[in-house]
Amino acid sequence: MVSPAEPERRRRDPVRNLWHGVALAILLIACFFVLPIAYTAGLSLTSPDVDGATLANYRTFFSTEHLRGALGRTVLLAGSVVLLSSVIAYPLSYFLVFLVGPRLRIFLLFVLVAPFWTSFMIRAFAWQLVLSDSGVIAYILSKLLGVPVALGFLYSIGASIFGLTLFGVMLITLTLFSVMVTIDARLLEANADLGGTRWHAFKEVVLPLSAPGWLIGGLLTFIVCVGDYAVPSLLGGGLKPVLAQIMLSTLKGTYDLAMAATFAVILVLVIVVCALPLLLLVRQVRLQS
Amino acid sequence: MNGAGREPAWVRGIFATVFAVSALVIYLPIAVMFVFSFNSGRYQVMPFRDFTLQWYERLLADPQYTTGLANSVLIAGAVSVTATAIAFTCAYSLVNARFPGKTVATLFVLAPLAVPLVLIGISLRLYFVSLGLDPSLWLVYVGQTLFVLPLAILNLRNRIAQIPRSHEEAAWALGASRPRAIVEIVLPSCRFALVATLIITFTFAFDEFVIAYFLTNFEITLPIKIWTTLVTGFDPTINAAGVCVFLFSMGMGIAAQVLFTRREA
Repeated sequence: MVSPAEPERRRRDPVRNLWHGVALAILLIACFFVLPIAYTAGLSLTSPDVDGATLANYRTFFSTEHLRGALGRTVLLAGSVVLLSSVIAYPLSYFLVFLVGPRLRIFLLFVLVAPFWTSFMIRAFAWQLVLSDSGVIAYILSKLLGVPVALGFLYSIGASIFGLTLFGVMLITLTLFSVMVTIDARLLEANADLGGTRWHAFKEVVLPLSAPGWLIGGLLTFIVCVGDYAVPSLLGGGLKPVLAQIMLSTLKGTYDLAMAATFAVILVLVIVVCALPLLLLVRQVRLQS
Repeated sequence: MNGAGREPAWVRGIFATVFAVSALVIYLPIAVMFVFSFNSGRYQVMPFRDFTLQWYERLLADPQYTTGLANSVLIAGAVSVTATAIAFTCAYSLVNARFPGKTVATLFVLAPLAVPLVLIGISLRLYFVSLGLDPSLWLVYVGQTLFVLPLAILNLRNRIAQIPRSHEEAAWALGASRPRAIVEIVLPSCRFALVATLIITFTFAFDEFVIAYFLTNFEITLPIKIWTTLVTGFDPTINAAGVCVFLFSMGMGIAAQVLFTRREA
């Protein structure tokens, strides 16, 4: 829609070179995000016993068994949550986009993701009431079976995975939905007219076209899970902590600042290392399609 | 319009069941908490005893809860106004201006979304301590503003991009200055989005725990009070607090969502 007067219009546009609006936001993020993280990375390379930069904290981290265990649990937790959430979110958003009409669709999406706005902590605590050995499910089961039932589920990594998966389902459904809803239904009709099965349509059309939405939702879920402390503390318990729990207690308890900084850097490394294969995978899916 | 109606009934049935079960699981614990908040039993176990409002009364009478609430409202209010104002100028420039490095600038202001909150909290604390600043609610204000800023920018950027440029150009042609055109054309055109952004940033700051926890020593916000109650003791008041926070955040979220979907004139 370029009119002949376009260059003239641009020249007179008083906003064209207005970059100043960005300045404040950039300043804020430089001062209170980039600098603190750079400082933290630097701090992780110091040790009271050594002058200059040292990897001593990282050596301590990887030679301490319960810290290695926490790292493993963190990756296991976040990875399982992303996987499980995706498996549940795909049918959910497929249902919303292709199986219900547009009006009902918006309402149902709303119902599904509304609790997303509310505090994590409150929701995790509410699950304690349901899942604990004296909780609602155990009570109902014991009444039904006539014998006392102990679920033994609360305070395990399974309970953490469960609690965070509910969050992941909401987030991934939301991002998947927003991409799936733009898929041209005629592509699916063409597939059906040419004798393709529904599964074929899903695999060849819906899956590759919705991959970007899945990637964003999956990544954000992974990031949140790696850094969450509330669900692992309230549902997973303190005996087998994840990294975020240890960070919290290190900073507020022992005041070993350099070690706390080391945990923070390792957390970022986990995200980078785990996100790269995801990005590559999505690129491959898109190239194939 | 996507191709609804081609699938056989049993396929729809399966998908509808998956949906119903998911929704049920998402709302179940909240419903249980709601019920327990009216239960007179001292311990949160079944069976249900008598109906009572005493936990809500105790909630209102507890100065720690009321102080925490006041602090949370104050900080979240300041954070939402600051972040929305900064985000508006930033989003306006990102949409309308052309300058070298605009893509980099966009990625830069959205970067905090790519790291876990706990990392933002921990690095801010270490950094402020190194500068000799004592943890305080002021620092919580700074930290939470940073945390909600990218969300506010994303929201407003999408809306500002939808405003036809011709409206602003018409204002300039009629002699309006740049600030005047923004105030009289752009701001009214995205007023719903602005209010929605205020609400969302408020809600996120209001519910935010980890930055507040790291950047304070003794002051409390509502999430900090709830957290310490959860980990240190056993007090049914927490159910009442949870119900109140849930209803409040949910109401804010719904309001924001309604505003976002509303078409602006």
